[in-house]
Amino acid sequence: MFKNLYNYRQLLKSNVKKEIRGKYKGSFLGVLWSFVNPLLMTLVYAIVFPYILKDTGDHYVTFIVIGILPWTFFTTVISQGTFCVLANAGIIKKVYFPREILPISVACSGLVNFLISCIIMFIFLLCSGIGISVQILWLPLIIMVQTILSLGIILITSGINVYIRDAEYIINFIINMLFYATPILYKSDMFIGTSVEWLIHANPMAIIITCYRDILFYQSMPHVKSLLVVLLGSLLLLFIGYKVFKKLEKGFAEEV
Amino acid sequence: MKQKDDVAIKVEHMTKSFKLYYDKATTLKEKLVFWNKKKSESRIVLEDINLEIGKGETVALIGTNGSGKSTLLKLMTKIIYPTEGKIITNGKLTSLLELGAGFHPDFTGRENIYFNASIFGLTAAEIDARVQDIIEFSELGEFIDSPVRTYSSGMYMRLAFSVAINVDAEILLIDEILAVGDQHFQDKCFEKLEQLKNSDKTIVIVSHSLDAVKQLCARGIWIYNGKVRMDGSIDQVIDEYLKICG
Repeated sequence: MFKNLYNYRQLLKSNVKKEIRGKYKGSFLGVLWSFVNPLLMTLVYAIVFPYILKDTGDHYVTFIVIGILPWTFFTTVISQGTFCVLANAGIIKKVYFPREILPISVACSGLVNFLISCIIMFIFLLCSGIGISVQILWLPLIIMVQTILSLGIILITSGINVYIRDAEYIINFIINMLFYATPILYKSDMFIGTSVEWLIHANPMAIIITCYRDILFYQSMPHVKSLLVVLLGSLLLLFIGYKVFKKLEKGFAEEV
Repeated sequence: MKQKDDVAIKVEHMTKSFKLYYDKATTLKEKLVFWNKKKSESRIVLEDINLEIGKGETVALIGTNGSGKSTLLKLMTKIIYPTEGKIITNGKLTSLLELGAGFHPDFTGRENIYFNASIFGLTAAEIDARVQDIIEFSELGEFIDSPVRTYSSGMYMRLAFSVAINVDAEILLIDEILAVGDQHFQDKCFEKLEQLKNSDKTIVIVSHSLDAVKQLCARGIWIYNGKVRMDGSIDQVIDEYLKICG
């Protein structure tokens, strides 16, 4: 598997480039849109939510930014990834190449975008006076966990979406719902002790976002045990996802 | 009996059937509502094909429309998979099924060369080494740095063919694309194919232009209704084919 992927590394590279540059080609702000969009969203939430939440705490804007940017990374990868096989129907029907390149390059281009977004998070942290602590060293691990999780999911969903086109809509709905079950706009302890507490514990993105917050916003140790559980789960999902994708890919050219 | 290493493509008892959908259910609603309705039947497109194509051979697949030639070529490329039996290929393989697959209209010709060649599995260094040849062959000149969407269809095809032909694969599968560009460019393509043929590449061509095929290939395989009807020297096969279908 790895040898085949290695042989096609140039395709992976140019596909990532195409994903990043091709998406906004022709628009005035170009790639900047991937950063302007979440920032505008942040602006809206920062205006609205202080009226809804009783206690938003200090530095609420920075607080949201640290939730929104990783969340945007997650949702772009999932929604683009689910659609990626269908979107490339043209080449799938005509050329052989390892099909897993498609979801992998969606995950990679999302990752590149997010790494650039990290600069925005740092700017907010510095400007708000919170600063950056040594806990930032956890950041690569958390990003890695999130990337593996996303890739595992889209390996499955992109394959299924070829056979059942509803998958896309169902998944978009789930993501929208998940947004509220993830501590992005509120603190992770808000639902502790309520009947929906399990939702936060069962949601891997809740754990991941909480980790980002812990190390960047609160400058404390992340909850390492939860993070490792998510890492193991994600690796397992990646493995299963790869198997499922390999199984489904045989029919891609006939079904798309 | 040929040595194992001398075989480029081996097809063993290969059968391919397609599902024919009366009304294809692609949404969940249709799948749930019509789950018990018989909505497809399978049709055998290729049946029990056995072939062995040696290294360095130039083979033409001929047959009427719908006989399964293109499907066989797609199976060799591993775009689709056999229902039964297997196909073994030995060596780097490039297929020219349709030109310009995966060209991005907003990227320049040069960028698309890189992208298109990488689909064929080339590395950056390998493409760097070929890019000059490709541009020269395409005769696009200064247009190479303009976005592909501004190209005429002839320019588009010339670029696509130039990339595909310069990939340097050991096995080339070509589906009816000999008619690219003007007479001058066609002659050039033909010359290039002759050159590849003499440099020990394996070439499989699907074509209806029997004259071209006659010049280029030594062996002909006639596919008729999903089966190999005749396999032999190109002249004999074409004579027989014209007797029945001409």
